Amino acid sequence: MDSQRLADELKKILPAERVLAGSLDRKMYSYDSSFHARFNSFIPDAVVLPRSTAEVSGIMRFASSHNVPVVPRGAGSGETCGCLATSGGIVLDLSGWDTIDEVDVSNMQAFVRPGVVHYRLNEHLADFGLFFPPDPGSTRMCTIGGMVANNSSGLRAVKYGATEQYILGLEVVMPDGSVIITGGVNCRALKNVSGLNLTKLFVGSEGILGVITRIRLRVWPRPKARGIAMAVFDSLDEAPAAVLDVYQSGILPSGIEILDSSAIQAVNIYKPEINLPAAEAILIFEVDGNPAGVEWEGLKIAEIVKKRARSVEWTTDKDRMADLWRGRGVVAMAAARLRPECSRIFAGEDISVPLSRVTEALRRIKDLGREFGITVVNYGHIGDGNVHTAPVINLENSEEVERAKGLADAIHRLAIELGGSTTGEHGVGAVRNQYALAEHGEAANVMKRIKEALDPGNIMNPGKLLPPGGE
Amino acid sequence: MAEDLYSLKEHYLRCVRCGQCRSVCPVFEEIGNETASPRGKVFLAHMLASGELKADAEVAQKLSLCLLCQACTKECPSAVPVHKIIMAARSQLAREMPSPLQKLVFKDIWTRPSLLNFSSGLLRGCQGLGLTSLGRSLGLLPPALDLTGRLPSQPARNFIKEITKAEGAPKMRIGYFLGCTTNILFPNVAKSTVSVLSRLGCEVVTPRDLKCCGLPQAENGLIDTAEALGSFNAAAFRRLGIDAVVTDCASCFAALRESNTFKGIEILDLSQLLNDLLTGHKLKKTSRIITYHDPCHLAKAQGITDAPRELLERTCAGFREMPGADNCCGGGGSFSFYNYDTSMGILDKKISSIKETGAAVVATCCPSCIMQIRHGLLKSGQNIIVAHPVELLAQSLQ
Repeated sequence: MDSQRLADELKKILPAERVLAGSLDRKMYSYDSSFHARFNSFIPDAVVLPRSTAEVSGIMRFASSHNVPVVPRGAGSGETCGCLATSGGIVLDLSGWDTIDEVDVSNMQAFVRPGVVHYRLNEHLADFGLFFPPDPGSTRMCTIGGMVANNSSGLRAVKYGATEQYILGLEVVMPDGSVIITGGVNCRALKNVSGLNLTKLFVGSEGILGVITRIRLRVWPRPKARGIAMAVFDSLDEAPAAVLDVYQSGILPSGIEILDSSAIQAVNIYKPEINLPAAEAILIFEVDGNPAGVEWEGLKIAEIVKKRARSVEWTTDKDRMADLWRGRGVVAMAAARLRPECSRIFAGEDISVPLSRVTEALRRIKDLGREFGITVVNYGHIGDGNVHTAPVINLENSEEVERAKGLADAIHRLAIELGGSTTGEHGVGAVRNQYALAEHGEAANVMKRIKEALDPGNIMNPGKLLPPGGE
Repeated sequence: MAEDLYSLKEHYLRCVRCGQCRSVCPVFEEIGNETASPRGKVFLAHMLASGELKADAEVAQKLSLCLLCQACTKECPSAVPVHKIIMAARSQLAREMPSPLQKLVFKDIWTRPSLLNFSSGLLRGCQGLGLTSLGRSLGLLPPALDLTGRLPSQPARNFIKEITKAEGAPKMRIGYFLGCTTNILFPNVAKSTVSVLSRLGCEVVTPRDLKCCGLPQAENGLIDTAEALGSFNAAAFRRLGIDAVVTDCASCFAALRESNTFKGIEILDLSQLLNDLLTGHKLKKTSRIITYHDPCHLAKAQGITDAPRELLERTCAGFREMPGADNCCGGGGSFSFYNYDTSMGILDKKISSIKETGAAVVATCCPSCIMQIRHGLLKSGQNIIVAHPVELLAQSLQ
């Protein structure tokens, strides 16, 4: 169906102003943050901006009867092409559907539409002394719908885990347009083991099974205090060892972040005023909770880590903590400063490895960088073995671009070899699905059978998450 | 001010399209879809520069949907100067598909003070005869025409002398850049600026032949015109010999500071200068509650937020912050004329913030913001006064 006819049909379901059919409008939905999208143009045939479950249902009924692919999209902040129309079709931009329908304080939960932005939800919840714990680095723009679809996590996953732990139920529009509610239509219980856990099936399903239109979230009491210990290491091996020491002492920090020597160098070039000490690695431990507990745990961490670190600084001062987080926060942007006129790319950027092999992973990624002739900066959530690698390349050098693709592939294969995963929190999309069989074996085929059962026409976000071919 | 688009390649290539700019863009918030996002405009600029996209009216319309408020530039984790890229893209569009209307307004009229005066006189006359109201009520004239409000009887240039002597021994010889909006729409601001500076011991030099600062031209892609205006104005100040230049317009201030043509001439922030000059002075404080709106060209472009507040606190007993004081008011120079409805949506939020403070006066250092906020207050029937801090200071000094 050509773009204009498709738009005309969609305008029978939604008001005309919420159907974008112009070529320029559609082009502006051809990207996300991925490296892959830099060199491929995935222009949808139409973009719609639904604002009700009935509208989404109408779109799905139409798409299913005409066999048109449908791709749900949040803020488009992902790195995997997950929200791009790689097979054409309709993009559902859900990011403007951003109402917080209810904060049920007495039942510790919130009911939201998919477009609510993460930090705005937490700003709203703060008025009730509550928060939604998963803490992605993209908090300023990512939507709750996108977080659920990708099972996002972030800096504080060490203690609070990923999004899946906080989803009590979902409203989902199925590929045929029918609407289901997982977790029970009237269920506000925090515990529920009745039936197959369909909620968890949809969390992290990256839009291949249905469209998430409403989310019931579990929320938690907001911690009263936070503190940070920054430890500086002369040896890279000592940093992961120090993390294990802290765990073994019975302390569970809310976040443990690592910057390797390249990340430290990049930060100091980009923002000299942050002035991080030159070192092989820096660890940032964050603890949260009640003030007395935070103080005790922070001092204990400092004492334990000091045995391996060159220096440790413990602080609960808000300004100082902001400074220290800033050092971690600017790495992503600072990476590009290691090579003037080059750009940081998102490729091979999210592997997850066993804690016991983090050091090995960091060293081998550096080796791979040398092998492929690509500058790499490593940082990440060492507390749960999630390593973020930032390759820095000249995007206009096609030969270097090809080498970067090779590097990303090698990093993904390294993760599997080390007993880890190609992605800790960013998802699979269209850039890591080629590793699905290597990662999941026969389970990948069960995933395909689930997909076929729920979406026999394969119209929901085709070409994502599952092994390519024969979907 | 504006640069060549291709020279910004390193910057637009650095955009990883993460979308963090969406979180702060007032235009995106109002329009609510990706086509209005700052990263989307960087994407368009990139395609325009690489030749993947041809200049046309649709591209121009998309790129016009930016206030150049710089909120995205400040927010960008990859330090991409989004506003510069958009200005450069507009400049490329102006070269590839020149708009006769833009040329007429911003090059042929706006660069000639006599024609600008004549045009404003014409508008004043039409307003006086009720023709604009009639045209508006018949739907023949756009609502954006209401933005200027009723023009004052005469521009400031008619009564500001080229040299205004200092009261007492002169401490410094200060150049006063009298901007177009202050001159035509807010002559009382100009009068207050000159009188306050003079009373505080400055000899004030207001060159007779000053032209526009060049910002409206640069924002509309006419870089060469903007540069020529900058050179002309800088020469006027150099000729008359001054210690430094001040202006009561945040937009002119940013334009002068960022202009290469003003290199070597010190451009001082008016609020900071006044705070320095007021050291030791005791002022009569008003009991009215005053709140302050940060103009984007002062707060985001130049990082000046404390000095105006310090100045206001000298003049009032009850200063009260508004939520989101540095959120754009939706004016954005010619933005509100091109995109009136979007601009009004952004303005509504600003008016709500102002109302929340319960203030009797909202102060701001930019005549364009004064114009915009005054329009919003009038539309929503609020009895709140909009004033420039220098006007409030002039009252306190009396």
